[in-house]
Amino acid sequence: MTDAETIRARFRARGFVVDEAFATALQLMLALEKPLLIEGPAGVGKTESARILSEVMGTRLIRLQCYEGLDSMAALYEWNYPRQMLRARLSETGGTSLEEREAQIFSEPFLLKRPLLEAITQDRSPVLLIDEVDRADEAFEAFLLEMLAEWQVTIPELGTIRASHKPHVILTSNRTRELSDALRRRCLFLWLPYPSLAQEIDILRARVPGLAERLAHQIASMMQVLRGLPLQKAPGVAESLDWALALMSLHRDHLDARALEQTLGCVLKVHEDHAVMRSHHAALEPILEQVRDPGGTSRDSDFGFGSVSTPR
Amino acid sequence: MTYPFGSLPENLIAFCAVLRRDHGFSIGPGELRDAARALEIVALAEEPAVRHALRPILSGTRDDSAVFDRAFRDFFLASAVTARDDRTASTRREPGHDAPGREARIDRERRAIASDDMDAAEQEPSGAIDPIEIGDIDVEAAARLARSTYSPIQADGAMPPLTRAESAWRDAARSFVRRLDVGLSRRWRPARTGRRFDLRRTLRVSLQTGGEALTPRWLRRPRRAPRFVLLIDGSRSMSAHARDALQVAVALASITRRVEVFTFSTALQRVTGVVRRAAAGEAQHLDAVQYAWGGGTSIGACLREFLRTSGERLLGRDTVVMVVSDGLDVGEPDTLRAAMSELRRRSAGLVWLNPLLETPGYEPTARGMSAARPYVTTFASVTDAASFARLSRLVRVR
Repeated sequence: MTDAETIRARFRARGFVVDEAFATALQLMLALEKPLLIEGPAGVGKTESARILSEVMGTRLIRLQCYEGLDSMAALYEWNYPRQMLRARLSETGGTSLEEREAQIFSEPFLLKRPLLEAITQDRSPVLLIDEVDRADEAFEAFLLEMLAEWQVTIPELGTIRASHKPHVILTSNRTRELSDALRRRCLFLWLPYPSLAQEIDILRARVPGLAERLAHQIASMMQVLRGLPLQKAPGVAESLDWALALMSLHRDHLDARALEQTLGCVLKVHEDHAVMRSHHAALEPILEQVRDPGGTSRDSDFGFGSVSTPR
Repeated sequence: MTYPFGSLPENLIAFCAVLRRDHGFSIGPGELRDAARALEIVALAEEPAVRHALRPILSGTRDDSAVFDRAFRDFFLASAVTARDDRTASTRREPGHDAPGREARIDRERRAIASDDMDAAEQEPSGAIDPIEIGDIDVEAAARLARSTYSPIQADGAMPPLTRAESAWRDAARSFVRRLDVGLSRRWRPARTGRRFDLRRTLRVSLQTGGEALTPRWLRRPRRAPRFVLLIDGSRSMSAHARDALQVAVALASITRRVEVFTFSTALQRVTGVVRRAAAGEAQHLDAVQYAWGGGTSIGACLREFLRTSGERLLGRDTVVMVVSDGLDVGEPDTLRAAMSELRRRSAGLVWLNPLLETPGYEPTARGMSAARPYVTTFASVTDAASFARLSRLVRVR
C-alpha cells in the first residue's frame, strides 16, 4: 500500500475503480496521516471508497453517520445508565463507601463506546468514516476539529484516553451546507466528480460481471446525457449499477425505448424528472438507436418477457 | 514537465506564492510542509502525479481545485517562464473575474466608497461584487422590453446612501427574529425543565442520595435560530421603495449574522458584504457599487439563478426567504412559477413584501405577482419599523 498504482490495483481487485487523482489522494492520506475530505454529488462512491479502503488495508471500518442534532455524546461515549443505576442500588447495602461505589460505576465496563472513542481505542489503525459531515451542525464540526487535531478524549471520570494508533479518516460531504475553512484546512481535499464515459463503462464492467458490452456502453452514454439535463436528482454511479442489475435481471442485453420505460425508476427517482427526460427525448434517441446494429441480430422479439427465448 | 526554477523547494515555494498572490489561496507553512512531503512520495517526472499530489493539499474546495489545475498548467507547463507573471488567470470563487484576489478587491472597493470617488467606481464597474450572469435566457431582450414599458434603465439609478439602522428598526428586527419560530433544534441541552431525563446528570446527583434518583435533571431542545435570505428587486419601478427594503436588510444584519442579501433586476448580485458593513456603521453608497440597481426585472430567471448558485448552501428548513418586489415581471411566468415552487419547497417560509400593497385598491393581479402568489406563505408590506415588527406575527412557517 505505498504507491498510487498499487492502491488502484487493489481497489480494482475488489471491483472499485479509482482514477489516478483519487489513488494519489488516498496515498497521501496514508502517508501524511491527514484526514481526507471527499466532496461530490450523491452516488459517486464516496462512502463505498472508505469501505473498500478498510478491506484493502485489512482493518476495521468504523462509521460515524452524521445527522442534524448529532452531539458529542452520541459520537464519543455514553455511560450505560440503566446498568449504573442498577449497580448503585445493589451495592448500597454492601457497606462500601460512596467513593468506592462511584469509582465502580464509572469504570470501563459501564462505558458505551461510540464510533469516535471506538476508533481511537483499537489495536490497529482502523478506517474511520465520518459520513455526510455537512449534515451535522456547526457545533459538532467544531468538536470534530478538536478531535481530528488531538486524537484524544477526556472522560472526566476516567481521565484522558489518547489514540495509540491514529485512525485513517475519510470525511464525506454532499455540500448541503458550507463546511468551515478550519475543517477544510485540516483535511486533504478531493472533489469526486461523476465518472467520464470510459470510466463509467469500466466501473460497470468491474462491478457487474456478465454485463453485455453493448448494454454497458448504452447505460454509460445514457448517464452522460441524463446528467447534463436540468434534473432535480441527477443519477449517480450507484444508479447506473442498479440499472445494469435491473436490466440483467430482466434478461436484457440492450436498452430500447421499452426497456427504458420499464426500468426508469432505477435511474430517475423524482417524478418531475421523468417529464424532463421525456421532453429531451431527442437527445436520448441516438443511444437507443444503437440497438439496431449492422448485425441485425436484435430482430427477435421476446414479447416483453425477457426469459422467453425464440428459436433461431 | 518543466521546472521553472533550479531546485524543487524553490519551485514549490514560487508556485505557492503564485497561488497566494494571484488566486487568493491561503497557504500556510503547514500546507507548504505537507506539499514538500508529498513531493517526496510521488514520481516527480510525471506531470499528473505531481498535480494529483499537490491538489488535495493546496486546494480546499471544488472551485479551488479547478483554479489550481489551471494555475498548475500555467506555472509548470508553460514553456516561457517570463510569460507567467503577466498572466492573471481567473480567481477562485468568483469565476471570470480578473482582480488579484478578493481581499485586494474589497479594499479597493472600500477606498472607492470612502473617497466617494465615482470615477474609480466607473473605471471598475465590477469593482465590488460581480454580477452573476444569467445563462440561457435572453436578458438583453428582457431588459429592452423592460425599458420600453415601466422600468427604464438609468445609469444614475439614484439610491439613498445606506447607513446604520435606527434604533426603532433594530428593535423591530430584534423582535422579528426573536418571535419567528422555525421549530426546535434536534440537539438536547441541559435545562431546568424539559421533556427528557438527563440520565447522566440525574445519576450524578443520585449518588448523593444513595443511588436513589430523587432530583431529576432534564434535557430540552433549544430553539432553532432562523436564517434569512433577502432577495430585493432593484428595478426602476421599485426605486421609490428601495430604501425600506434595504432598511429591513440592514436592520436584520445588525441583529443576526445569519442573513444573506441579494439584489436582482436583470442579473442577480450578492450585496451581503455591503449590507453587513452598513449595519456595522459604515455609510455605504449603493449606487456606486450596484449593478442590479435600475434595470428591468426578470424575477423568475433571477430566482432560478439564485437557486442554482446558492440554493444548496443557503436554503434549508430554518431559512426564511424574503422577496421584496412589486411583482412586475417581464420574464416568463412559468419560470417564475417553477422557481417559486422550489423556493417554497426548500425553505421554512416564503415571505413576499410588496410595497404596492400600501396603495389603496391594489390587487396582486400583475402577471408575475399572480404566478408567484400561490407559493407565498406571507404576503405583506413593510414601510416603517412598526410594520416590520408586526410582520413577525404574520409570518407563517412550516
